[in-house]
Amino acid sequence: MSTNPSTPSEATLQAFADMSAALTGFQSSFIRPFLDPVNLSGTFYSFAVSQVGQPRMDALLAAFNNLNNQTPKPTPQQIADTLLETSLDAPSLQAQLCQSIVAMWYLGSWYTPGVLGGNGFAPPALQVITSQAYTKSLVWNLAQAHPMGFSPFVFGYWSQQPASLQTFGVDTGNGGGQ
Amino acid sequence: MSNGASTLYDVVIVGAGVSGNLIAKQLGLAGKKVLILEAGLPVPDSREEYMNNFYLALAKTPESPYPALAGRTGSQQNPVGVLPDPSKLPTPRATVLSIGKAPDVSYLVQAQPWIETHDPKLPPQNPPPDANGNIRGLQFSSTFERNGGGTSWHWLGTSLRELENDIQLQTKYGHGVDWPITYPELQQLWALAEKEIGVAASTAEQEPLEVVGLVYPTGYQYPMQSIPMSTVDDAVSKGIAGLQVPGTLPDTPGGSDPTMYNVFVTPTPQGRNSEPYDDRRVCAGNTNCIPICPIQAKWDPTVTLGKALDTGNVTVSYQSVAYNVAVDGTNATRIDYYVWSRDANGNLTKVSKSVTGKIYVLAAHAIENAKLLLMSNNWNGIANSSDQVGRNLMDHPLYLSWALAPEPLFGYRGPLATSGIESLRDGEFRKYRSSFRMEIGNEGWNFSKGDPYTTALDYIQGTNNTGTNDGGPNGAPQRLAGVQLAEKLNNILTRQFRIGCMFDQSPMAENRVTLDVTNGKPNNVDGLGLPRPKVEYGLDPYTMEGFRMAAYVCSQVYQKMGAKEFTTTGMGSAGDFTYRGVNYHYYGAGHVVGTHRMGNESGSSVVDASQRSHDVPNLWIVGSGSFPTVCTANPTLTLMALAFKSADSIIAALGS
Repeated sequence: MSTNPSTPSEATLQAFADMSAALTGFQSSFIRPFLDPVNLSGTFYSFAVSQVGQPRMDALLAAFNNLNNQTPKPTPQQIADTLLETSLDAPSLQAQLCQSIVAMWYLGSWYTPGVLGGNGFAPPALQVITSQAYTKSLVWNLAQAHPMGFSPFVFGYWSQQPASLQTFGVDTGNGGGQ
Repeated sequence: MSNGASTLYDVVIVGAGVSGNLIAKQLGLAGKKVLILEAGLPVPDSREEYMNNFYLALAKTPESPYPALAGRTGSQQNPVGVLPDPSKLPTPRATVLSIGKAPDVSYLVQAQPWIETHDPKLPPQNPPPDANGNIRGLQFSSTFERNGGGTSWHWLGTSLRELENDIQLQTKYGHGVDWPITYPELQQLWALAEKEIGVAASTAEQEPLEVVGLVYPTGYQYPMQSIPMSTVDDAVSKGIAGLQVPGTLPDTPGGSDPTMYNVFVTPTPQGRNSEPYDDRRVCAGNTNCIPICPIQAKWDPTVTLGKALDTGNVTVSYQSVAYNVAVDGTNATRIDYYVWSRDANGNLTKVSKSVTGKIYVLAAHAIENAKLLLMSNNWNGIANSSDQVGRNLMDHPLYLSWALAPEPLFGYRGPLATSGIESLRDGEFRKYRSSFRMEIGNEGWNFSKGDPYTTALDYIQGTNNTGTNDGGPNGAPQRLAGVQLAEKLNNILTRQFRIGCMFDQSPMAENRVTLDVTNGKPNNVDGLGLPRPKVEYGLDPYTMEGFRMAAYVCSQVYQKMGAKEFTTTGMGSAGDFTYRGVNYHYYGAGHVVGTHRMGNESGSSVVDASQRSHDVPNLWIVGSGSFPTVCTANPTLTLMALAFKSADSIIAALGS
């Protein structure tokens, strides 16, 4: 693992992207496309490191690589459940970091690990990471829609049924949901 | 051209918003020389900067794209970041983030402080009713902008006409006051406004609303074909087929209307393009009409401002805050204003200037018009022999309900609202309770719960702020991961929808805007040293009985559709009130009306039907502040219609 947050190695970035795909349930091509001028995964990796420090990120990626290299290879759903500790009553600090990473991909914003919402609304975000983090945030794909204020669709689309959830990038039927 | 001392303008207009720009355009076309004093910043060459402000805003409120910005970096203690101090700003304005807050962040000075608990588990702190059943001491919750283009940068685009009985409420039902204008005249004026905006609608599709008295002159056609109904609209429309509700609920004070009314959905006339119009694009369904259309497919006042400037007869002076309308004898003679700027260090500076014209038009917004009238003549006020300036402040207080449909209906797509239930806007029940229209939202639970954020974090973190996350053992919230998380969120988000009900609130003299001044000294000022508006607000039983009915109708709609309702009230925040033992919550609709009401009698109104001051014959006071009642349609179309009438009367008064 790289120890310099400004220049993570390719292996580190790919591990972060693979882990992000498993945690979010999205296809890798939506997380780190082959042609990736926006490089959200790089932006998100660096932002998370700036918030929680390199050692916590290194430890998380080590845990992911350890899982991912097991034989037989666990499914993405099993990796996600393990890292997010969905079967435990309370998530560990590491699982809370995973929650923040999922929130970053879904919502484009940084939610400090472990800070819960209350009284009917979401917990406060620290910041919207970048404009593109918002316009490419993935929760809107889960609504089979688009970020509010950033529609790639054309007049009248709203009167028709949307494309499938898989078309919107969710890894349905591909090792998930098992 | 901002130094008007050497130029005699025919007309000086305060405010480059809906009314001001339209009147400027009409006057410019007639060859009249016009100066617009706009308090705020110029209209930007491109809306990219405003879009970027929006993308980066933590709270994507109506004000979020527009200066002055709230801080973008939050913290646990301060989730929306630092809010600007209104006493440091040249043009502070009411914002959603400052509702219910103290004057250190709220430009509007609310007459009663609010105890914010933000905790629904605590007992409500709502003020009790007075001897007449009115609830006083509530927070006025509508907001506005003070920049070139005005508040209608973020209007929704809804372009409904009022109903005939909306404007004759007193004559027909013995409540409120009548408008001093006939329905046939309004029909002609609406047609002008619909052409200016480019309203997309079909009179054939509106025909079912003849049951509430909506009729068009024979042969009338809207400028362009209607906007398609959304999949949400379609699901609601089919799901409530055959639904009827009574005019009043049992035990309604004053009387009952047992008539059964049909509840049905109709497409909404909208100020957004279904075809290219005025060199603007067709709507791409960005679901962002509020706070900002990214592609200007929705008409906004900057469109009309461009046409006004194209006449060659209209000049705009930006960063020019009017603070005094001088009146000599009976006529207005000059407007005094500050031109403000910031130096390299960001320090605010101001220079006082004056400008003269033959006629003056105040088009600064219902609250700012009242403030300017009251500030004039050394804060003794002008045009106020009726004592009605600032009074009868109204809104469309909005009741919000939300539900999960049994099947996906795919919100978060299309314009924010494309249809509504308009069939309950008129009936005998208006003798006893306020009428309302019902707007169907296309934005899931975004307005209701701040979604998709709240739902997403519920299932990521294992909380239940939305009320949906109770699928664990003994109803405990679930924490999900990976594809299971994605599919769960898909299941919830695609079934979300909401209905907003907006009420024909009663005019009340004690709901009013005054200057925040005690013994001639301001308590709170803006960055130019001008006093701020103080607002007193409350609700009467007639209006609140409408809320009771709306909550009932919404629940009937959800039940008929097989949808599960998740509406919550009593949030421990500004907007909470208790009526007949039940907690409700109202939101502001941004429909601020009534502060310079129009009427035929100078003793009981501020302006006449052409929005001309009864007291000062060369002064017009225009905008939704002239509305005698707030009625049942969103106000922009009608306030623009009235501006056409004002423009004609100004041209006539100027002579040739």
